[in-house]
Amino acid sequence: MSESTSPENTSSEGGLPVKTFSAVLDELIPARGSALPGAGGLGLGVFVADQLGEAAPLVAAALADLDARAEAAGAPDFASLDAGDRGELLRAVAGAHPGFLETLIFHLYAGYYHHPQVMEALGLEGRPPFPKGYPLELGDLDLLDPVRQRPPLYREV
Amino acid sequence: MSNEPVDVLIIGAGAAGAAMAWSLAETRMRIVCLEQGGWMNPAEYPTNRSGWELERFAGPYSLSPNGRGRREDYPVNDDDSPIKISNYNAVGGSTILYAAHFPRLHPSDFRVKTLDGVADDWPIDYATLEPFYDLNAQMMGVAGLAGDPAYPPKELPLPPVPLGKLGETLARGFNRLGWHWWPSDSAIATVEHAGRAPCINLGPCITGCAQGAKGSTDVTYWPVAIREGVELRTHCRVREISVDEQGLASGAHYIDAEGQEHHQPAEIVIVACNGVGTPRLLLNSRSDRFPDGLANSSGLVGRNLMFHPYAMVQGLFEEPLEGYKGPTGCSIISQEFYETDRSRGYVRGYSAEMLRGMGPVSTAVWGMSSDRLPWGSGHHDAFEKLWDRTAGMVLICEDLPEAHNRVTLDPDLVDADGIPAPKIHYELSENSRKMLDYAVARSAEALKAAGAVETWSEAPLPPAGWHLMGTARMGLDPASSVVDAVGRAHDVKNLFIVDGSVFVTSGGVNPTNTLQAISLYVADYIKQNLETLFD
Repeated sequence: MSESTSPENTSSEGGLPVKTFSAVLDELIPARGSALPGAGGLGLGVFVADQLGEAAPLVAAALADLDARAEAAGAPDFASLDAGDRGELLRAVAGAHPGFLETLIFHLYAGYYHHPQVMEALGLEGRPPFPKGYPLELGDLDLLDPVRQRPPLYREV
Repeated sequence: MSNEPVDVLIIGAGAAGAAMAWSLAETRMRIVCLEQGGWMNPAEYPTNRSGWELERFAGPYSLSPNGRGRREDYPVNDDDSPIKISNYNAVGGSTILYAAHFPRLHPSDFRVKTLDGVADDWPIDYATLEPFYDLNAQMMGVAGLAGDPAYPPKELPLPPVPLGKLGETLARGFNRLGWHWWPSDSAIATVEHAGRAPCINLGPCITGCAQGAKGSTDVTYWPVAIREGVELRTHCRVREISVDEQGLASGAHYIDAEGQEHHQPAEIVIVACNGVGTPRLLLNSRSDRFPDGLANSSGLVGRNLMFHPYAMVQGLFEEPLEGYKGPTGCSIISQEFYETDRSRGYVRGYSAEMLRGMGPVSTAVWGMSSDRLPWGSGHHDAFEKLWDRTAGMVLICEDLPEAHNRVTLDPDLVDADGIPAPKIHYELSENSRKMLDYAVARSAEALKAAGAVETWSEAPLPPAGWHLMGTARMGLDPASSVVDAVGRAHDVKNLFIVDGSVFVTSGGVNPTNTLQAISLYVADYIKQNLETLFD
C-alpha cells in the first residue's frame, strides 16, 4: 500500500486521507451549478467516515489504491488526475475492492440528501419532519362520485 | 418473590391488552398488566432528527425484533419462513410502529366456510363486533368517511386523512378503470382528539409518531386506564402462566428489569401477546397437568399461523406527487377485489392500500439499488426524474389457515432472560401465490391508469410479517379450537386470550381494529357475567 506524499492529503477524516476522499465524493456526486454542490465540496467526508464502521478498512484500502495507481500513472495523487481519468480509475479500483463503492455510495446518499442545502435545492426545507410537519390538502372528494353511485360491494350473510 | 394477589392479570400492553385494561377498569377490580417493554419517548422518534429516513431499516426503530438489539424484544427464529416477523415490545406494543391503517373485517369474513367452502366460520359475526368497532373508533380516534359501498354503513369520529396530490392521482386511475376506492379508515387524529394533537403529515408513521397523532395505545387507552386505577408494570417479562391443583390459571411467573423473578397471583389471567408471543407463552407454560403447554388439549396452540402475504407494486410518474408528505401507509384503499370471485383462479380476496412516496434519501438509495441512479456526471439528471415521482400500493392478501404453518419453541434460541424463543414454520399456499399474481397484475394496471410510465413489484414482501393470527383459534368445539366464542380457553376457564391468535380466518385487511374490537367484546362479556363467570 502506498502512502501519499501530498501535504493536503496527510490530514485524515476518520483515518481516511482528506484530499483523496473529498475528490472521490465529488466524483460520485459532482456539483451542478451553484445550487447543488458536489458531495466533497459540501464537506460530507466526516459524516460518511463516521458511518462506515467495519467497512472503514475496506474504504481506506481502496483510497490508498487510488493514490497508488495515480502515482504510477505519473500524477501526484488521485485528486490531481483529469476528470475523465478519475472516473475511469474509480471504476477500476471499485472492481478490485468489492463492496467499496456500494458501501460508500449508500452512506454518501444518506448524508447528501439530508443536507439542508441539498434539501432546499430540491424544494424542501432543510430540516427533519418534526416539529413543523407539512401542510397537505384534503383533496377533491368529489372524485368519489362514481364510487358513491355503486351498489354495495360487500356480501350479505 | 410472590406479590399481593390481584383480580385480573393482563399479559401484554399492546393493542389488545390496552383495550382490555381500559374496559375492565370501570369494574374497580384490582387489575395489573405486565409488559416486557417500557414507555416510549416520542422526542426520541427518528422524525426529530436528520437521518430519519433510513432508521426504519436498521437500529432500534426497525421492524425485525432480531435486528433491533433491544433487551425488551425477544428473538424469533423465522429462518424457515419466506415472510419475516415484524413486531415491537413496549407500552403500545406493535402499534408503536404500525401504519395505523384501520379497516374492519367484512361481514363475509366471518362466514368463509358457509360462503366459499374453505377454512371455518367464526363463532361470532360482524354484528357481534360492530358496537365494539364503534367504541374502538372513539377510543383510538379513527379518521374516515361514511358511505363506503364496500362496507355496511358505519360512522367514524374524525374527518379523513388528506388525499394530497398523490391520493388524487391514484384515485383518478381507479376511476378510469371503474374500480372501487375510498379514503382509508386510519387511527390518526386528523383533528385534535381526546387531548391528542392533530396529524401534521410528518410522513413515516412506521418509526413512531413524534406528534402523538397516531393512535398507538400508549397515547390512547393507556393514559385513561391508568387514571382509572389499572397498574401497568413495565420491563416485566412473563416466563410462564402458573396453574393450581384444580387446573385453573393461578397467575404468572415474571422477571423484572433487575432480573428478579416474581410470582403474580391472579383470579383471572388474560393473554394479549400477539399471534407469536401468545403461543410461545402457552407452550412455555407446561406442567404435569398440561404437559403439551397450557390450553393445548386440541394440539392447536401455535398451529394455523396466518400472516397476510403482501405484495408491493410501485410506479414511476412524470409529475411531482408531494408523496413525502402525509401518513405513509394511509391515503386511499381499494377493495374492488376483496370478495371471492372464483373466475380469478383463487378463493377469497385482498385489499389494495396506497403508499405515499419516498423522501430524498430513500429515493437515492432505491435508485442505486435498482440501477436507476448512476454516480458521476449523469447523477443529478437521473435523480430529477425519480425524486417525488413514485407512488404505489401494498396488496394485503387473505391467508387461509393451514395446520402446518405454526409457531413452536426453538430448541436452542432464548431471550435475554433465558426463556425459550419462538420458531416459525410457514409455507406460502398455492391459493396465496395465485392471489398475489392476480393482485400484482391488477395493481400495475391501476398505476398505469393513474399515469405511471413504469411499474415494478415484489411478492411476497419478505419483511411483512406484521399481522400475526390464528395460533389460538376461536371455535365452539374444544377438539378443533383453543378458545370459545368469548375468548375463554376451553381447557382453563379463568384464562382468556384476546389478540390476533384467536382469529379463525385472516380476512384481507389489517387486523388491529378487529383484535381490539374482540378484546372489548370479551371484556364486555366478563363485565356482564362477573357473578357467574366460573360457574
